[in-house]
Amino acid sequence: MRLSIFRFNPEQDEKPYMQDYEIELEPTDQMLLDVILRLKIQDDTLTFRKSCREGVCGSDAMNINGRNGLACITVVRELKEPVELRPLPSFPVIRDLVVDMTQFFKQYHSIKPYLINDESAPEKERLQSPEERKKLDGLYECILCGCCTSQCPSSWWNPDKFVGPAGLLQAYRFIIDSRDQATQERLDDLNDPYRLFRCRSIMNCTEVCPKDLAPSRAIEKIRLMMVKDSL
Amino acid sequence: MCIGDMAKSKKRRPVFFNLAQIQMPVGALTSITHRVTGILLALGIPFSVYLLDLSLQGPQGYAQVIAWFDKFAFRVAAIVLVWALAHHLLAGIRHLLGDIDIGSELPAARRSAWIVNLGGVAVALLAAGVLL
Amino acid sequence: MRKAVTGLRAWLVQRISAVYMLLFILLLLFHFFLDPPHAYLAWHGWMKNPGVSVATFVFFSALLLHAWVGVRDVVMDYVHPLALRVSALVLLGFSLMAIAAWVVRILLTEYG
Repeated sequence: MRLSIFRFNPEQDEKPYMQDYEIELEPTDQMLLDVILRLKIQDDTLTFRKSCREGVCGSDAMNINGRNGLACITVVRELKEPVELRPLPSFPVIRDLVVDMTQFFKQYHSIKPYLINDESAPEKERLQSPEERKKLDGLYECILCGCCTSQCPSSWWNPDKFVGPAGLLQAYRFIIDSRDQATQERLDDLNDPYRLFRCRSIMNCTEVCPKDLAPSRAIEKIRLMMVKDSL
Repeated sequence: MCIGDMAKSKKRRPVFFNLAQIQMPVGALTSITHRVTGILLALGIPFSVYLLDLSLQGPQGYAQVIAWFDKFAFRVAAIVLVWALAHHLLAGIRHLLGDIDIGSELPAARRSAWIVNLGGVAVALLAAGVLL
Repeated sequence: MRKAVTGLRAWLVQRISAVYMLLFILLLLFHFFLDPPHAYLAWHGWMKNPGVSVATFVFFSALLLHAWVGVRDVVMDYVHPLALRVSALVLLGFSLMAIAAWVVRILLTEYG
């Protein structure tokens, strides 16, 4: 299999460049991550993040043949050769395929990703019916890999002002959580020309989410709530 | 970013941002064309208002507007604007439906994106058939 | 940008103006298909009909508001230096107002 991988070492390189690799696939190579881990035998300077190898930690998010995804759950034999690996678009590159996720996490923290409930704590737990719990499906599963936000044009143009699909999906996760009491504040916080309303429903986010979540739909639902609220 | 990182590599953190190498799904094409056609239509507003004005001023003005429509270049421009309006309108309807949660799931959204892209061109071809 | 022109308000203006324009365009196409004006008098008479001229004026109001929100979105996305962005938006605002005044002149006054 032929691969072409984005390389950049800040201590040595002036500019990034693409490096070609060739490797014999073995029967045990199922996912892209298996292959690039074995590539490190050929070239141990190749740098990328990885951890769980099963699509739940989000560490190995990268741009694969133009489309963001997780290396550990991308079936390697389905990829067109040469397989082009690049870091997530628009995020500052620290080294090779490792990017700086600071801005991404800043936006995530800005939506207050925690339950806000000032009532005194109940003896056991805050109860929630199965129907209320069902509303969190498709929202809580986000692993914050960054595939969506780094493929979103609105995030490209205004990363510091637009919250981005991941942040907004999590905002909705707390807005419709029946145990959360800060719904009004959350909606008000997003009601400005940039934080939510830069979203044009381009839907790149939903296209690339490796967990099959739909941030564009969550954003739509937040907008509808805001409209209902204002009438 | 911690201070250590900043001191070492504050100068060089490149980004990967080559649009030619980033995949553009069909919905993204619909979206950027929606924006481009919007700008084209907005630029066309002053001239359209002028045509309206001229056509209502008197029989000579009206005749003048009709005469312009005989020119080939004018007709080509008209077809481009018809395409722009058709695409913008269809993409707009797709957005309005999405707003009320119709066709928001990925498979439906991809299908509607194709319909919008091809529909706009179809209307333009129709206009070309009529005008040329 | 201040919350004065909240995101929601602009978005609603864009959607509502779009719906009006869609209906107007469909009705217009329908009318022109069934009964196209053949000469100046028919055209002038139809446009100056009070119902038509008011509905058309509302159409242009919707159009200019819709264009304002749309072009403003483009400026906000791509123009980052503050002074440049503010200038572009001010220029846009004045241009649209000038066109609005022109449309009032054409449709609602006895000129022409």
